[in-house]
Amino acid sequence: MKTNNGSSRAYSITSILILIILAILFLFPLYWILTGALKTPAAINSAVPQWWPQEFTLRNFEVLFSKRSAPLFEIGSLTGPIIPGAIRWLINTVFMAVLAMLLTCITASLAGYALAKKRFAGRVILFSLIVAAMALPKQVILIPLIKEMSALGLYDNLWAVILPTVGWPFGVFLMKQFAESIPGEMLEAARIDGAGELRTFITVVYPMIKPGVGALAIFTFISSWNDYFLQLIMLTSSSNLTISLGIATMQAENSTDYGLIMAGAALAAVPIIIVFLIFQKYFTKGITMGAVKG
Amino acid sequence: MKKIISLLLALCLVVSMASVVMAADAPEGASEITLWTYPIGNWGNEATVKELTDAFTAETGIAVKVEYLTYADGDDKVNTAITAKQAPDLIMEGPERLVSNWGANGYMVDIADLFEEEDKAEINPAALAACFAPDGAAYEYPLVMTAHCMAINYNAFVEAGADQYIDKETHTWTSEQFLAAVNALYETFGDPIGAIYCNGQGGDQGTRALVNNLCGGSFTNPEHTAYTWDDEKNIQALKILYDLNGIDYDASIVGGDEIANFYNGIFKMAFCWNIAQQLNPNSADTGAGLTLNGDEIVFMAFPSEDGVAKLQGGIWGFGIFDNGDAGKIEAAKTFIKYMCDSEHTADAVRASNFFAVRGTTEGIDISGIWSDNEIMNEYTKLMPMLGDYYQVTTNWAAARTAWWNMLQQVGAGDGSEEAIAAAVADFCAQANGQ
Amino acid sequence: MDKTLSPKLRRQENISGYLFLLPSLVFFLAFVVYPMVMCIWTSFTDANMNSNTADHFIFLDNYIELWKDPVFLKALVNTLIIVFVSVPIVCIFSLWVASVIHKMKEGPLSFFRIVFYLPVVTGSVAVTVVWKWMYNNYYGIFNYVLKSTGVIDKNINWLGDSKFALWCIIIILLTTSVGQPIVLYVSALSNVDHSLVEASQVDGATNTQVFWRICWPQIMPTTLYILVITTINSFQCFALIQLLTSGGPNYATETVMYYIYYTAFKLYRFGYGNAMGVILAIFIAILSAVQFRLAKEK
Repeated sequence: MKTNNGSSRAYSITSILILIILAILFLFPLYWILTGALKTPAAINSAVPQWWPQEFTLRNFEVLFSKRSAPLFEIGSLTGPIIPGAIRWLINTVFMAVLAMLLTCITASLAGYALAKKRFAGRVILFSLIVAAMALPKQVILIPLIKEMSALGLYDNLWAVILPTVGWPFGVFLMKQFAESIPGEMLEAARIDGAGELRTFITVVYPMIKPGVGALAIFTFISSWNDYFLQLIMLTSSSNLTISLGIATMQAENSTDYGLIMAGAALAAVPIIIVFLIFQKYFTKGITMGAVKG
Repeated sequence: MKKIISLLLALCLVVSMASVVMAADAPEGASEITLWTYPIGNWGNEATVKELTDAFTAETGIAVKVEYLTYADGDDKVNTAITAKQAPDLIMEGPERLVSNWGANGYMVDIADLFEEEDKAEINPAALAACFAPDGAAYEYPLVMTAHCMAINYNAFVEAGADQYIDKETHTWTSEQFLAAVNALYETFGDPIGAIYCNGQGGDQGTRALVNNLCGGSFTNPEHTAYTWDDEKNIQALKILYDLNGIDYDASIVGGDEIANFYNGIFKMAFCWNIAQQLNPNSADTGAGLTLNGDEIVFMAFPSEDGVAKLQGGIWGFGIFDNGDAGKIEAAKTFIKYMCDSEHTADAVRASNFFAVRGTTEGIDISGIWSDNEIMNEYTKLMPMLGDYYQVTTNWAAARTAWWNMLQQVGAGDGSEEAIAAAVADFCAQANGQ
Repeated sequence: MDKTLSPKLRRQENISGYLFLLPSLVFFLAFVVYPMVMCIWTSFTDANMNSNTADHFIFLDNYIELWKDPVFLKALVNTLIIVFVSVPIVCIFSLWVASVIHKMKEGPLSFFRIVFYLPVVTGSVAVTVVWKWMYNNYYGIFNYVLKSTGVIDKNINWLGDSKFALWCIIIILLTTSVGQPIVLYVSALSNVDHSLVEASQVDGATNTQVFWRICWPQIMPTTLYILVITTINSFQCFALIQLLTSGGPNYATETVMYYIYYTAFKLYRFGYGNAMGVILAIFIAILSAVQFRLAKEK
């Protein structure tokens, strides 16, 4: 017993050491983005890297903000004041991610409840379809989706990115797993009380699956923020780009300027990281909830 | 608090829904056209282009919405937009895209009617010919042209004693001198001296020109009907480059990265160069003909056996996508006339940092617009070496893709003549559509 | 339950079920099912970019060609390598990390959780571009560190060398995949029934035995869920390929997902690209079915 303890002590010390090294490695790319964004071109391209910038410069951000410009908003023929393109891209990204999140949460929680608790015809077939489509990479339907969005007049519009995200069935699957755990008696009781279907949903079902909705909201927000592919094929004009696309365009430019690219990456990463740090507790709770039920 | 947030979100939703509906209803006439440009000199620079288009709008009342493409992913973007039937009205690039790709695939408007007899006489014959498809339709109206070349870091050459191998006066060297120079540089600086970049198609004209010139190989037949880069001289050149110390096949970078590496002093020579780069290296605004730390950049013709290279031409101008809207096509034609054939042409040419394809427009002499620019004058020494404009050969888009894939395979192989010959044969057949 | 319902109730159940489903179903049918059907249809034609020629129905020709296309086969193999290498590594790595940190105090625990989750929230493009810089052949940090510590004596062209490129991509994929599994395992491990653990320790079981006999069965559902999400995730590595290697060098990092895009917009062969999509979809459907069968059995 004693030797066991000794070796497990040694094991846990080594593990913690390894863990600390890993943590540093995981933090490093982010550190490299943030310091890179403040480095001069000479420091960026130097074969001997500067671990800490010897000379700080805002030049990269100046270039980033002056390179492209776009109106603050365009609603019909109404256009806002001209602002740096990068800011508009950030606004676009937030708009897209928030709407995708809201719509997904609403539609998926309704559908998940129906799939879990309603015994309607065709339920099994539909559910199998959803499961089969869940892991489908969007590249598969690349061309039909472009043609469809063009026919709907939504090409080069943020909605062309939002709508397929809402259609992706992972959310429905997740919400179904949550709704499974609602006791049938509670629904029965609500029905006996004479509550309508929608009322039952709002007063009985929704409170029960609320943690799940939270998990789904977080999940959708992050995944639509990161869904580079859909943005790439659907958005073209510089006032409709997302921040991810903006950075990607900069790195495709004729002269690769890592300082500028890092400034763009920092602009894209910092807001969402701040949001993440603030809501960190809910993030972990939400993610865990999703799995425990799922 | 919660209520306010949800209220805001709901409002957001309604407004955005409305914006979709309204955007769809917005009246679209010939009052606005869209233009997509590749980074052709300062035609990739928002401030410069805005000045030009604002002047155009002031005169004609036609607004121009400009989008800026990059060479790395611009083609994909245009192709996506074509698939979505949302191609721009106007596009600025060269015949290899406008004529032999999008034109041949039936997406462009025939603008042969824009070429009056007078224009045909004024425009450089080679540039003019390249804008027409074999069936006589014109898919590009040319604005500027140049010869693509390479560049060397002169300070590094002097330091390594390699400056003896170049003729700084005529900007030429033979293949033998080139190899001697690379060896001298390698002995002084070690890896890397330069790179055969082949991550993608960006700047691929440079690698083609290097390989074709080194041993005198060809890329296509003179009739532009088939790709002939499987000839032995090219295989020989690829082999020489494979064995050459200091120059590697680098599948992790494209032309743009190469320029940046050259500008930053990492490479001592660049194969992706032209006059616009010479005037403003790496588009960094740190002085013409200078690297980041102030080394002198000398532009050079590609090395060849007799020292007289066949340089790749670049011809840039405008084409019109057929979006089925006669009003927009008319407006786009007005734009082309304004930029390429009017008293404003001089400004449009200046913005590109290249040479005009014609000496006069509508009777105005524009041949002298660069006369006060020494670098431009110096560069005209290269122009007589302008070779065959073969980028209009059928199946061009697939052929250039096959080219860099071939370079990757050569670079990944063992460098034996058989391996190189196999890669070349394989991809050349692909380019020929077999 | 079905049998206890009266016909009237059953009809009501049907109608309300469909009504609840309707909003989601509209999106699902319009933006997933319909394009998929179109994809299958187009895969039997020679549709391409050329607007001058009509599409021809060529039935299975695309599929036959696929099995003779060395690039497609290579892409398929690479895709399988990515999935079958990254999924187990993610599971094992995150289980190990979780097993070390789940006993920690709240402070360090959430620190490590955040650190491993950061690459996920940083965003795929931002992460990709910084790695591209770090991998750079000439002034990347990896070559510098390895060279100055004497591990290598000549710069390695990480993304330009077909021996390394795919592994470089997998490493980035791993760093962006372990965040969520670690969070999940931490919570699963802290929910393991401790009385059982203590009981078996009293019986003299070693730590390893305790883990396999007591903990492993209890965290099995979590493991299955992680398998599912990690598999989905490893099919989403398009941005990495497009921004870093474009499938090169010499097709070393070509995946089916990228090759579909490449076929469509570089080779202009829509029909052929769609045939690839169909094969990929079938393949993924089988994979999901297997995973769900496993989940059911537990």
